[in-house]
Amino acid sequence: MQKIIKGLFILLTVVMVSSCSKEDNFDGPDAAFKGRLLDNDSKENFLTETGGVQIKLEELSWSATPTPQYIPSKIDGTFEDTKLFSGHYRVTPVNGAFWPVEGVEMDINGTTTHDFTLTPYLRITQFTHELEGTTLIMRFKLSAPVETGLPRILDVKPFVNTSDYVGSGATISQYTDANKVDINSSWSADIAAKTYELRVPNLKTARTFYARVGVRVDDSFKQFNYSQVIEVKVP
Amino acid sequence: MKNKIYISIIAILAVLLQPSCRDLNIDPLNVIQDKDVFGTEAGVKGYLATVYRTLPIEDFYYRQEGSGFNRQWEHFYHPGALCGELVGPYGSTYDGAGGFGYWPYGDIRTVNYFIENLPVFGTGFSKEQIDAWLGEAYFCRAYFYFALVKRYGGIPIIRKVQHYPEQSLEELQVHRDKEVDVWNFISDDLDSAYNKMPANNERGRANRYVAAALKSRAMVYAGSIARYGSENFVAGEARDLGYAGIPASAAPGFFQRAWDAAKLLEGHYSLYRKKTDKEQNYVDLFLDKESTENILVRDYSLTTGTAHSWDATMTCRFMTADGLSRAYPTLELVERFTGLLPVVNADGTPRRFDNTSQLAQGLEPRLLATIYFPGATLRGKQFDMQRGIYEHFAGTAADELGQNPPNRPFRHLAGKTETLFNGMRIIGFTGISTDGDDFTRTGFYIRKYIDYNRVQSQCGLYMSTQSWIDMRYAEVLLNRAEAAFELNNLADARNMINDIRDRAGAPLLTGAFTIDTVRNERCKELAFEKQYWWDLRRWRIADRLLDNTKYHAMMPYYIADEQKYIFLRELEPFQRSYNFEKKYYYEPIPGGELGKNPNLYPNNPNH
Repeated sequence: MQKIIKGLFILLTVVMVSSCSKEDNFDGPDAAFKGRLLDNDSKENFLTETGGVQIKLEELSWSATPTPQYIPSKIDGTFEDTKLFSGHYRVTPVNGAFWPVEGVEMDINGTTTHDFTLTPYLRITQFTHELEGTTLIMRFKLSAPVETGLPRILDVKPFVNTSDYVGSGATISQYTDANKVDINSSWSADIAAKTYELRVPNLKTARTFYARVGVRVDDSFKQFNYSQVIEVKVP
Repeated sequence: MKNKIYISIIAILAVLLQPSCRDLNIDPLNVIQDKDVFGTEAGVKGYLATVYRTLPIEDFYYRQEGSGFNRQWEHFYHPGALCGELVGPYGSTYDGAGGFGYWPYGDIRTVNYFIENLPVFGTGFSKEQIDAWLGEAYFCRAYFYFALVKRYGGIPIIRKVQHYPEQSLEELQVHRDKEVDVWNFISDDLDSAYNKMPANNERGRANRYVAAALKSRAMVYAGSIARYGSENFVAGEARDLGYAGIPASAAPGFFQRAWDAAKLLEGHYSLYRKKTDKEQNYVDLFLDKESTENILVRDYSLTTGTAHSWDATMTCRFMTADGLSRAYPTLELVERFTGLLPVVNADGTPRRFDNTSQLAQGLEPRLLATIYFPGATLRGKQFDMQRGIYEHFAGTAADELGQNPPNRPFRHLAGKTETLFNGMRIIGFTGISTDGDDFTRTGFYIRKYIDYNRVQSQCGLYMSTQSWIDMRYAEVLLNRAEAAFELNNLADARNMINDIRDRAGAPLLTGAFTIDTVRNERCKELAFEKQYWWDLRRWRIADRLLDNTKYHAMMPYYIADEQKYIFLRELEPFQRSYNFEKKYYYEPIPGGELGKNPNLYPNNPNH
């Protein structure tokens, strides 16, 4: 009896495994799309965070009204997706802190590379920092590449993390929202002239932190324009 | 002789065959015909009953995601738990911001069919009777379109029954209508409903004032979308084409229509004031089926299998027979009534209480009738919630809530109610636990709609039968107050608010006030009535209020060596943060519908 049952189980296993062997006769996603997001002024990589910009892909060769897919930016301002279907796409950077840009239509096959030049809403300039005991002080000014039509400026926030992946989605929350400075006003000469100071007190001692500041405006997406990331060693 | 026989056979056959020349066109007996439905009173009422049953009333069952209007027991998936009225089972606002693809065109077709066929087959009824029924149909159609437009903005307006295959596919693949046109269509349908219906109808069905009440609600939505949606919006093609968004210039017209509609109800309904005790009165308002305030209700019963689970899912298992609770009022909601509660002394130390019920002393009766505070009693059992026990406590509340809490080593928390410290339950029978969320996370439980007369053994799943009040007069007064304020008629707004405050036992409004005063009154009066989500959206303030926001709890602790209680204003234990993206001021058009009908493009901005 046991032998029969065992035999049946083995038979069952063989049958079930063999049923998995059918080949998928569709081509896999074999194309890749990558590139850099560039600041229009410095031509350096756009300062952003992981997912701080999304590259919207609309596969026009599939449908006139395709469901869009998105490639999130990496923290260094580049993007890459290696699992795309070859075809004709409309590609638009969206969901970031920059003036809206028109989409670009292009064929994606093999590894296609394309860079986008973006104009940030605001730049963090003259960024300095110092450590006073366990308090991190960051000072900076704001500048606006385009002033007309700039949405209301909301706030400036410090972001602090224990790795150099730092931004609004990767920060120690008690260091961030408690220490933000609200602005809530339209762009003005006063804002342009002012030196902002963000203080992050009570950093844990004998740790290394990574920090940056961000500013956002009340546009459709409310993402941040960032400073460079700094390393802070708290003694 | 033979010929005679033949002739008579032919003659008989001819006679017999004669009737068969008539067409065999007899109505089937096993299918109910239009004339049977629309020609008899029972048929018409039955038909309308199916329409009412599908009406998108956001009652105890309603969820802003997943099962939507379907009937699940888990009422703690409450839309208020997406946006800071409650903390609940949702991980974040995104769980519900995109909706569940509500698309009731099948139900709208049922109504359109009624509107087209009742006058054809209902020739035996009086004109008044036909008008009354048509009025109900117009009301229901407006109700469906209101549920659509508040989610998606402009959607196709279907006024007539569509026919396939008689109509071509091109004809049937309709385009979106402009948002402003949909709101105007709703307004027109409700005007038709008001003009056709009499002043009274059976319980649970519309009369002319129900239509006016819905109109006041819909028009105040449209007005605020016009006014605030033109300041705070997401750019995109659907907006440029008028599918998502209303020109700001339309705002005064909509507010005026809201005010006019609300005014129509004056003298026909009144705020519930049966009991002299204001707290008890406010509690009973939601349970008394005879309330003079009820405009449209939905009833439930055990015999029809419609009973709901509010009692079993809003307070913890200690007070109920089955189920569990998972959604709890936030301290932020409580502070809408009270401001900061007096739990800290002038020197910064936590105020000492002899028992936890002292916290509720002197608070607004309406608040205490809306939310169970520590120390309240239900079904003979006390809400004895504690976060934990301090062996002793020294210093200020601020220090204890800071990064290096000095009394932390002397604090005891617990996950289970049976865990003791020196013989005392650390968290009482009703929370706040360190495990899970079937005890309160904030120190509060919902009281509104809880049937305190129901014995505990009857508080199981699908056993509660209190009615859902979809529209009540207080809401109409608030619609009117908001419209009046937006039209700069401050005196009228003040009168409405003071009527509500007087009934609530709250201090009357004197001195200057702002639109935030009016809105805050609405949030207080209509708490947990599934309005808050829509209100935050239409005021276009959700992205500011829900901006990486965490919500707070009022944590009661027992101090063992002093034998006193303190309260600390802490973050709720899950510390979830809530964030609202602007694109969610409109839900995406459901993907399945876009697949069937490409003319529904463009989708709403950023979806």
